[in-house]
Amino acid sequence: MPDADTLGLLLQGVAHVTPQSLVMIAVAFVLLYLGIARDYEPLLLVPIGAGCMLANLPLSPLVADDGMLRVLYDMGIRNELFPLLIFIGIGALTDFGPLLENPRLVLLGAAGQFGIFVTLLLALALGFSRPEAASIGIIGAIDGPTSIYVSGLLAPHLLGPITVAAYSYMSLVPIILPPIMRLLTSKQERLIRMPYSQRKISRRTRILFPIVVTVLVGTLVPFATPLIGMLMLGNLMKESGAVERLTRASANEIANAVTLFLGLAIGSTMVGTEFLKTSTLAILVLGIFAFALDGVAGVLFAKVLNAASGGRVNPLIGAAGISAFPMAARVVQKVAQEEDFENFLLMHAMGANAAGQVASVVAGGVLLALMGAGGR
Amino acid sequence: MRRYTLGLGGREFVIDVQELAADRFEVVVGGESYEVTLSGDEDLPEATITPGYAAPGEGATPPAQAAAAHAGASAVGAAGASQPRVARAAAAPAAAMVRPKPASGGAVGAVLSAPMPGVIIEVHVKPGDRLERGQPVAVLDAMKMHNVIGAPRAGTVAEVCIAPGQAVGHGDALVRFAQD
Repeated sequence: MPDADTLGLLLQGVAHVTPQSLVMIAVAFVLLYLGIARDYEPLLLVPIGAGCMLANLPLSPLVADDGMLRVLYDMGIRNELFPLLIFIGIGALTDFGPLLENPRLVLLGAAGQFGIFVTLLLALALGFSRPEAASIGIIGAIDGPTSIYVSGLLAPHLLGPITVAAYSYMSLVPIILPPIMRLLTSKQERLIRMPYSQRKISRRTRILFPIVVTVLVGTLVPFATPLIGMLMLGNLMKESGAVERLTRASANEIANAVTLFLGLAIGSTMVGTEFLKTSTLAILVLGIFAFALDGVAGVLFAKVLNAASGGRVNPLIGAAGISAFPMAARVVQKVAQEEDFENFLLMHAMGANAAGQVASVVAGGVLLALMGAGGR
Repeated sequence: MRRYTLGLGGREFVIDVQELAADRFEVVVGGESYEVTLSGDEDLPEATITPGYAAPGEGATPPAQAAAAHAGASAVGAAGASQPRVARAAAAPAAAMVRPKPASGGAVGAVLSAPMPGVIIEVHVKPGDRLERGQPVAVLDAMKMHNVIGAPRAGTVAEVCIAPGQAVGHGDALVRFAQD
């Protein structure tokens, strides 16, 4: 007959189950369900869900001092390594051609960041500290790596909810944007056709672009240098065509491996005591507010451009001024084509979208500068 | 269809422009019909009227050139501008090709051209098919998005110029319609 001590040792796990950890395991199931069954950003939500589940199992050795999830967190999240590696891959996949063909679209990218700053103010009003508010606002960049980078520096304790919000809202782009776009534009505006301009962008321009942007943005917004530097490094490798193997590795192998590590490590930050707070709910709500506001600002600003150009800009492309490349641009094309199957805004929307990608990084750098963080 | 009425050297011209495709226009000047291809439309704010351009009153300009000039204007018009801008339009015609529209009778009519560069994924029509306006003709992969290209008008397919896997540039012909 085993005595009580032996039983206690054998049933340690069961004894350490807490209500919070059960709730978090349920959250992990929801994330896994969304990723696997509903196909919402499965590449991120599946590792995040798994990380969350593993971290919340009783006494999980994975998050103990030398546990794998802890090691991954220290290795790539605390020092911002993982989001930056992902950015090289994003740069290698981004085509700035449509933006170079129509540089006016940069303005739409800037307008698409409006929600970040309004949400920041709102979060301050709700009682979040300044670094926390900035980290919540950056969800409005609708860019996972940027959100992780900024909140990792400013408010690491909010990393879990902010990342989950940023990535879930990214996958909600096709659901959240179209109603906003339809509400703010008239049928007549949605019917505006924008013929594809056939300007050929020279290879030299395409190669110089990432270099010039890096130097320019890096000088103006030093805190954005890591993000913009890596984004543009990926793009330079792609456009130069000189290092095809490195480009492929950045866009595929490295990005894939880092995505797994990143997701697991982010999931492991979602432990009951940290995650189950009203602040998490507030972050999710504020995040979606920031996102919607970006879309509103983008469309409204495109309407201004339309008026200024004498009716030559379809306001729908403003909605692509957020990040979330290239999903936002595709949504714009879909909505435009619902009205008029012969209207192809895709290239213009891609330009605005690429501008939004750069602008969200710059916005992240501006936030870090405002908060006096970064550097180290 | 847009109608432009312009005074040139004391004479008045009525020019009707019908958009056949994004870059093809049917232009009617003085009862003559021309098919016009627009191959460039640029903003040249500093441009003056094409050097050497003489008004028809001085006997130097064939109607075709005027037509080409206004095909440029119509592209602007189609994009929503309220008035033709002659300075802009005059900058374009050097690049525009004009050929008289072939006579009717089995000849090729309107053309559906690629709205943007990409790769053809699927082709849904074959010569002889009778199409309704909006009926899917092909699927074009541009920026990794599959775009369904619909027929711009009802008509019979005379020629299919593309095959799956083929890369197309902006304005390349996809399908030619038989003249009806």
